[in-house]
Amino acid sequence: MIDFGSFKARDCGGSTRRSFLRTAATVPLAMRAGLPTPEVIAAAKSRAKAKSVILLWLWGGPSHIDLVDPKPDASMDYRGPFGTIDTRTTGMKFTELLPRMAARSDKFSVIRSMVNSNNGHPGAGTVGVTGFEESPGPVQPNFGAIVAKHRGQDGSLPPFFYVGRGIPRDLPRRIEGYGGGTLGKAYDPFLVSASDRGEVSIPTLKMMPNMSPGRISDRRQLLTQLDEERYRLDAAKVEEWGHKYQSAYGLLTSAEARAAFDLTQESKETRSSYGRSTFGQGCLLARRLAESGVPYVQVNWSEYVETFTPGGDWGWDTHIYNFELLQDRHGPIFDRAYSALLDDMTERGLMEDTLLIAMGEFGRTPRISNRAAREHWNQCYFSIWAGAGVQPGRVIGQSDPKGERPVSRPITPLMAGTTIAELTGVGAQQRAELKVLDGGSVIDELF
Amino acid sequence: MNCFEHRTSNTQRWASNDRTSMFDVGRWMLNVRIGPVLLLILLLVVTDAQAADPIQLTTDGALKRDPRFVGNGAKLVFCYDEGPNLVRMLQMKMDDRSITPVFEDAGNRHNLEPAWSLDGQWIAYTQCTGNLTARLVIHNRAENTDVFITHPGRGGTRSPTFSPDSKTVVYAFAETGPQQLWSVDTAGKNKKQLTEFSGITNWPTFTPDGKTIVFANSRENNYELYAVAADGSNEQRLTENTIMDIRPRVSPDGKKIAFVSTRDGNYEVYVMNLDGSHVQRITTSEERDDYPAWHSNGRQLVTVSERNGEFDLYLFDVEPTHHASEKLSASLDVVSKP
Repeated sequence: MIDFGSFKARDCGGSTRRSFLRTAATVPLAMRAGLPTPEVIAAAKSRAKAKSVILLWLWGGPSHIDLVDPKPDASMDYRGPFGTIDTRTTGMKFTELLPRMAARSDKFSVIRSMVNSNNGHPGAGTVGVTGFEESPGPVQPNFGAIVAKHRGQDGSLPPFFYVGRGIPRDLPRRIEGYGGGTLGKAYDPFLVSASDRGEVSIPTLKMMPNMSPGRISDRRQLLTQLDEERYRLDAAKVEEWGHKYQSAYGLLTSAEARAAFDLTQESKETRSSYGRSTFGQGCLLARRLAESGVPYVQVNWSEYVETFTPGGDWGWDTHIYNFELLQDRHGPIFDRAYSALLDDMTERGLMEDTLLIAMGEFGRTPRISNRAAREHWNQCYFSIWAGAGVQPGRVIGQSDPKGERPVSRPITPLMAGTTIAELTGVGAQQRAELKVLDGGSVIDELF
Repeated sequence: MNCFEHRTSNTQRWASNDRTSMFDVGRWMLNVRIGPVLLLILLLVVTDAQAADPIQLTTDGALKRDPRFVGNGAKLVFCYDEGPNLVRMLQMKMDDRSITPVFEDAGNRHNLEPAWSLDGQWIAYTQCTGNLTARLVIHNRAENTDVFITHPGRGGTRSPTFSPDSKTVVYAFAETGPQQLWSVDTAGKNKKQLTEFSGITNWPTFTPDGKTIVFANSRENNYELYAVAADGSNEQRLTENTIMDIRPRVSPDGKKIAFVSTRDGNYEVYVMNLDGSHVQRITTSEERDDYPAWHSNGRQLVTVSERNGEFDLYLFDVEPTHHASEKLSASLDVVSKP
């Protein structure tokens, strides 16, 4: 655990501007006082193996009991209808919905003791990807923005991508912690999406009028077009415009960047192995982006949390039809896509320096609801970690016999974010300088 | 919708070639008087190979669900993901494979789990109407009118099916706890809860005489299949596994049940006798095979099968419910008699 004296703050509470200022001022003093020690710095450096991070964001709150933390001995109103199967990890069972993952469990580790301080989607989502509550503000940066700020842009590809339909949201609003937060909008994610057929689109380009593939191929025309568009914007939007369109321009005018988006360069076997789903093809796109050197890619399972609503896109928010949807759609799609990504990355030697994480913002109620489904549950959920030095084949943390609460050390999103930062080279000193992840500690059990 | 072209699979052509060559081998065996027993064994192997070659009915690969043959097999109704946020109900004419929406004015509502009454007058299906809410719709085809079956609060009906007399719809719904079977008449009246089981109950299907309902229930730690008299008496457990047996569909002759199980490692389709005996595995892919539904001829099953990551409709032949060993011994009896 790496603490910075007065910089240490509560795990899931908001860190104040004052605490940040105080921290910034005290870093040199803390260093002189021996925090962090050379040993701690050395340990952090030895962990910094991740050139890239792929976060599979299971938006909506997947049921831990019905997937990777089954409770077959619990009473019927808790355990659910799914049978359990053995995995390759001693003492760990999955439900029958994840047979491919069960056969590969020696390649990843599962944390069964995650907790979130918030139990509503946008709020918990922000905690899940920033480590902190939305309020009191300011909203903290997404883990990806922190990595992007630290690494900067190397080449034509932006350092932080969202793969999916859009910024995660529920019906009323999007999550606040989707982007740069205190680091600024320059570190917002760059949005791309892949259809279930693997057709990649870049929403930013759709905002440019009269933009066609023919015109895009002409660099001068494109530049003129971009400049014309820029003059149409008011001053307040110029900064945001600059970030978005410069990124888009870079993508379009770089053969390397365009190639990263071209899933047809993959063999048919590889493309089909991920499955015919937007999430599956999004995972393949994420692998290509990571392989091209993008430091952080967040693949969003869906844009909306709602699993079953007009306009919704099948998030994990299964207040109704939890069991039906998990067996009909979510379980098989996730099992196939995750397993394919794991195999593909292993075959390409990417697991050495790519961190692969799968998690949502919370789990679902262990007790089955009156509607034969499960509601939100932030007191206990799961995450799955692989690559970049994470020791595979482990079960980390334990939930109680009903899956209601951890009986081991609770693991928070702030700890997840701190671990991501540490593995990507954003050590304690850099975090303090960036004024991010205040009070976070590394999940040592992963190593 | 040219993405749903009919295409005979390559495997079917290969199977034909295989049959020819195997037949030639058989003639050779007769000629050299190796004996009729070996020839019978060979023919049984060939028959099994024929049964394993499905006909691919669609080629677009989009995620599909809930296929149902209607109109004595003239049409195949199914649901598919039209986009990332819409499930559309379609119908395929089996003679020319042309596909049209079941409802032209479905809008942006998910429509799924269709059921056709045997008299052809009614369609029952689940319709998503709002945030986490779905209702049962009973559509009168002749009058083009709808009756909506709702329950108070948030929730959704599941898996409607018609009684053979086309007067009643049985469906699954959880109103105050465990999901139960309910029934309602086609006018939307006389809604009542039929079962009082623990666990989750789903996928009701009638025998043709209307006397028995087959369904799945999770009271034994996982989904198992059961049969019960239509009045709720005389329950019989049909399967016994540590993992799921789901989506039972009683055959048109009432003698068999098609269902899905993960007992062999992933979603596969099986057929067994109505009493649970003689389980026969129909699909053998390492990928998913799901949503079986009988053709009205009772000799074929349509499935949604995933092949190379693509979801399409396939038509499988179903062998008579005998084990190869039984056929073999029967054949041997014939051969051994003078």
